[in-house]
This record gives sequence, C-alpha cells and structure tokens, in this order.
Amino acid sequence: MSVADASSLSHPVADEPSAVARLAAWFTVADHARLGRLYLGLTGVWLLLAAVLGALLGIERLDSGAALVDTGAHVQLFGLYHYALVLGVVAPLFLGVALLVVPALLKAATVSFVRLASFGFWMWAAGGALVVASILANGGPGGGTADAVELYLLGLGVAIVGILCTAVSLAATVMTRRNGATLDSVSVFVFAVLVSTVGIVLTMPVALGTVIYLWVDFANARVAFGGTGLMASWLAWLFDQPQSLLFAAPALGVLGHLGAVAARVRQPLRGGVLVGIGLSAVAVVASVTQRSHPFAIGDTPAETLGSFVPFALFHLLPLLAPLIVIALALLALKAGSPRLVAPFVPAFLGAGMILTGLVGTAVQMIDATDLQGTVFTEAALVYVVYGSVLGAFGAVAYWSTAIWRRVLPSGAVLAVSLLGFVAVVLAALPHYVAGFLNQPAATATGHDDAGLRGILNGLSALGHLAMVLAVLAAVAVILGARSRGTETTTNPYDTAEVAQ
Amino acid sequence: MTAPALAAGPVRRRSAVFVATAFAAAGATALIGSMLAMWLDFRAKAPLRASSDGAKMIKDWLKADVAVPEVASNTMMITFVAVCVMAQWAVYSARRADRSHTILALSITAAIGLALVNAQIALYLQMGLELRNDAYETLFYAVTGTMLALIVSGVVYSLVALFRVWAGRMGDHDVLAAHALYWYALGGMFLAVWFVVYVQK
Repeated sequence: MSVADASSLSHPVADEPSAVARLAAWFTVADHARLGRLYLGLTGVWLLLAAVLGALLGIERLDSGAALVDTGAHVQLFGLYHYALVLGVVAPLFLGVALLVVPALLKAATVSFVRLASFGFWMWAAGGALVVASILANGGPGGGTADAVELYLLGLGVAIVGILCTAVSLAATVMTRRNGATLDSVSVFVFAVLVSTVGIVLTMPVALGTVIYLWVDFANARVAFGGTGLMASWLAWLFDQPQSLLFAAPALGVLGHLGAVAARVRQPLRGGVLVGIGLSAVAVVASVTQRSHPFAIGDTPAETLGSFVPFALFHLLPLLAPLIVIALALLALKAGSPRLVAPFVPAFLGAGMILTGLVGTAVQMIDATDLQGTVFTEAALVYVVYGSVLGAFGAVAYWSTAIWRRVLPSGAVLAVSLLGFVAVVLAALPHYVAGFLNQPAATATGHDDAGLRGILNGLSALGHLAMVLAVLAAVAVILGARSRGTETTTNPYDTAEVAQ
Repeated sequence: MTAPALAAGPVRRRSAVFVATAFAAAGATALIGSMLAMWLDFRAKAPLRASSDGAKMIKDWLKADVAVPEVASNTMMITFVAVCVMAQWAVYSARRADRSHTILALSITAAIGLALVNAQIALYLQMGLELRNDAYETLFYAVTGTMLALIVSGVVYSLVALFRVWAGRMGDHDVLAAHALYWYALGGMFLAVWFVVYVQK
C-alpha cells in the first residue's frame, strides 16, 4: 500500500451532501440561532407584504371607486392585511428575536425542545403560505370559492398551532434553563418573553377553537357562524388591541433592558418595570370575552360605572404597561449618566408608538367619539405593530454581536430608526385624523374622497411605502455589517456597572 | 474549630418536559374552555319554540328526536378516572424502579385511552346526528371532535412513554409525571365537556 493510499484510508474525503439532504437539513433545523434568523427573515417578508398592502389600500382609498383592485376583493385584501400585520409580523417577530438571544441571556446552550420550536416555525410558515394561496384562489373572509375559504381556515389554524409550539418551547426555556437565577433577576427582556409566550399559550388556543368552529360550520351546515361574510368578526379580537399587546410585550422588555444600558446605571425601581411588563398580561382577558367593551355614559351612575369598569379593565389597564416602562426608562436616564446608545433610540420610539396605539384604542372605545368602524381602529393596530418592529430592530441592533458577531454601525442604526419612526407616524397618524372625519374602515370604496380625507389617505400610503424602504434599509445595514464588519463577540454597549 | 464549608450541591433544574406538558395542558384547557363557553353562549341565545305539547316555550336547541346516549358518555367519564389511576400507577412504579409494573401501567393507560376513542365513536353512531341542519350539530361535533383529538394525543403520549420505559429509560420519572399530569388535565377537560354537553345538553 502506498503512502497516498494509506492517507486516503485514514482521512476519507467527506461526500458533499445531496440536494435532498440539504433540503432536509432546512426542514429539520435544530439550531435555535438559525431558527431565530429564519423567523426574522420570514417576518421581514411578511412585513414587506403588510406595508405593500397598506400602501395599496391607501391608494384605493384615494378614489371612492375601485382603483387598482376589484371592489369584490377588498374584504379579502383587508383580511390578508390584518393577518399579515398580526400573525405574519407582530406575533412571530419576538419569537424570532427570543430564539436568538434568550439562551445567551440565560447562559443556556440552547432552548428547550428546539425541534418543537422548529416544527412551530415550519407550521407557521406553511400556514401563512396556505392563507396567501387561499386569498389568491378567492378564499378568506368574504371569499367566493368554498374550497379556498376552507383552505384559509386551515392555514389560519396551522399558523396558530405553529406559533403555539414555538411559544411553548420559549416559555419552557425561561422556566427551566435559568441556571439558578430567579425570575426577578433575569434580563427584563427575558421576563417580557415569558409574559408574552405564556399569554400566547393561554389565548391562541381560544382563536384555534373559533377557527375549528368556523371550519366545521362552513364545511357543513353554514347555519351557526354566518358563512364568509361574518368570518372576520368572529376573530376580530385576535387582530385588535389589547390582544396585540401580548405579542408586543417583548418590545417593552427591550426598552426596559436598554434604558439601564443607555443610562449606565442599574435600573431604578426595577420591580416597577417588571410590574409594567406584567400588566401586558391583562390582555389575556381579551380572549375571554372576545368582544369590544366601549364606554358610554348611561342614564344612571350605576349604568355608567357598569360600562366604565370593563372599559377600564380592557383598555386603560393595558395602557399602564408601556407608560410605566417608558417612565422608568426615563427615570433611569435621569438617575444615571446617559450616553447615546443607538439601539435605545428605536426601542424608545417603538414603545412610544405602542403607547400611542393603545391610547388610540382607548379613545375609539369611548362611545361619544363615534370612532368605531372608522380607519382610526386600523391606525391603532398599525401603531402597535410597526412600533413593535422598531423595538425588534433595537433588540437586533443591540444583540447583533450575539446574533451575527458583528456590530451594526450606530449611524446606520439611527438613520434606519428615524426612517422607521417617520414611516410609522406617516402610516398611522393620518388615519387617526381621518377617523374623526368618518373615513370608514374595512372598505376602500363608497366614501367621499375629496379634500382632506384624500390627502390623509395619500399620506398614509406614503407612510407604508416608507416602511418598505426602512425594512430594506435595515436589511442592507445588517448585510453590510456581516460582509464588511469585524468579527467580535464583545457587545460594545455593555458596561460593567449595568448588571442586568 | 470551624466546620468545613460544604460544596454547593448541583442546581436542581425543573424538568423541561414537565413544564412544557403543563403549558400544553393549559393551552388545551383554554381550547376546550373557550369552545364550551361558545357552546353556552349559543345555547343561551337559541330562539324559543313551542314544546311538542304546546304547553310551554322552550329553547330551540337540542331537537326532540335526538337522544344523547348517557350510558356511553357516563362510561367515558368513569373511564377517565381509571385512566388517571393507571397513569399515576406508572409514576408510582417507576419511582420504585419496578419496570414490569411501569410497562403494564402504561400499556393499560394507552389501552383505556383507545377504549375512550371507541366509546366516543360508539356515541356518535348511536346518536346518528347529521351535520347539516342546525347550530347544535355544528357545535356538538366541533367540541366533542376536538376532545377526541386531545384524547388521541394522550394515547400517543402514553405510547411514547411506554416505548421509552421499554427501551430501558427507567430514570425519566419526570416524563411519567408529566404524562400523568396530561391525563389529569384531559380528565378535567372531559369532566367539563361531560357536564355541559352530555348532562346539561
């Protein structure tokens, strides 16, 4: 045997994995970091779709007739838009961020049941694909093709199960992999992830139960739930506040974490931050009643009080969550010696946007404002969802060294954050104003499009397009840092005096 | 003389399987609870109609010619007690490293679970309810069908636990405790379904 032969025996050349093996590796991914990146990537695609749909609907509203899309498709477009905003973007967004950073924050090797989380991702992805396919095939809320409507419900159910699976994985991780740390000593972001995922575990099955009812009824008798026409109304609570706050709670956790980092001080009244984030859990009650709770002045004080109590529980109490976290972040800045930490900016602006959305929801629930059924409702959801996106960008920028081993340039982070902020305000604020001008929601036709309302709808469409730009800019910043930045695992923002 | 400091013991980590099962059980409870809540809402809002003798007005909910087989539903409820006892027996045996009894207990748990599935199908056949006329039928099949799917998931859990023990993993007490917890939760859920759907109707 020659030397060369012996060498080849002792070091066999590894075969290149086949295309099937590579494909299988994607579907059986059991690396939490890779899963997190997959979540963020696909959420980014959904965000682009949501922003494009928002712009499209804004353009449609410029004209009281059908401009770009057939009038009959408007209800389906609104259905897809709401799905994209909530189950496409805000619900999975922080699952992705959490998969990336929670193990590192807990000093754990990985998440519990990483294959369950992987299964959850693919279920969510498949559910989303089914929803899009069903809408394209004339299904969804208001759809005219029975099979496609059933496909929509199937997609909705599958996506919900997917989100549930990943949420269980993350909640179990926080509960069991703290390595001796108590819940009040872990990072505020980790605590917020726990609140959010437990809330998801308790509320998403309620949505799943409704989807099962809708499917059984639609596929058979069609007598109990009103067919496709009323389909959206049965699940309206899922695509509205305060439920969306449950998904957005980790954005408040990001601010709670970064407030102390920017102030270079241990968070004063840290327990208060935890209480503030915990108040997001009040949103769980939304799934219990599954209906709105407006406040109306009654004929007697008892009637007024009877209307005020549920209103306060559903719409004023959740307001306290972002309010407390923002206030305590500002307190930290006052108590410490603040410095400009670029990721703090989107986190702060994002929490502010979430607060604005919740304030809007509370205002529209006051009967006297007569805002229900107007675009004001849609604007409140946009504030919460896009605000969460800003918060997630802050998290990704701050923990970029743990995610990609690269530091995102501060200037670029600030520029993208400001562009995102302008996009959120442009996309949502005009509809807050248009709501007072009785611009109807869930329709793009049949209204007076002249004057101020036309301008406001145009501004909103521009805002959504600006969000598309912001997303593309964020992707460019991340890719640029990955290709040109120096590899490092040291977080430049962490300081010794901040013990999170 | 000072006593030598003791080395810190290992941090006892809570079992991820147990915690995840608890979350899954909580989610399943929320699922069944919400469906029953909607059942009660629909029943409360059902329109009134005259009774067959015309003597009084009654809710137009469960048709007069539909009989709910109470023997089958009551048998299912009692069977759930048995399945929970068997699941707990598996935990008891495993803690005493009694492999044969653990396997026996898990086998019986899975078999009783299958008996529950059988009873539910028998109940459907006895009722002969068609899924095309009214809200009651829609809600009945949706609630009981979801409960049936959860029972099947419990059987799968029992089989997985059984094969693990069979393969020699006797030390996984937490898995067996989690398995028992899941069956307890299913028992609680069925108790609610039994009372609302089969007793109160």
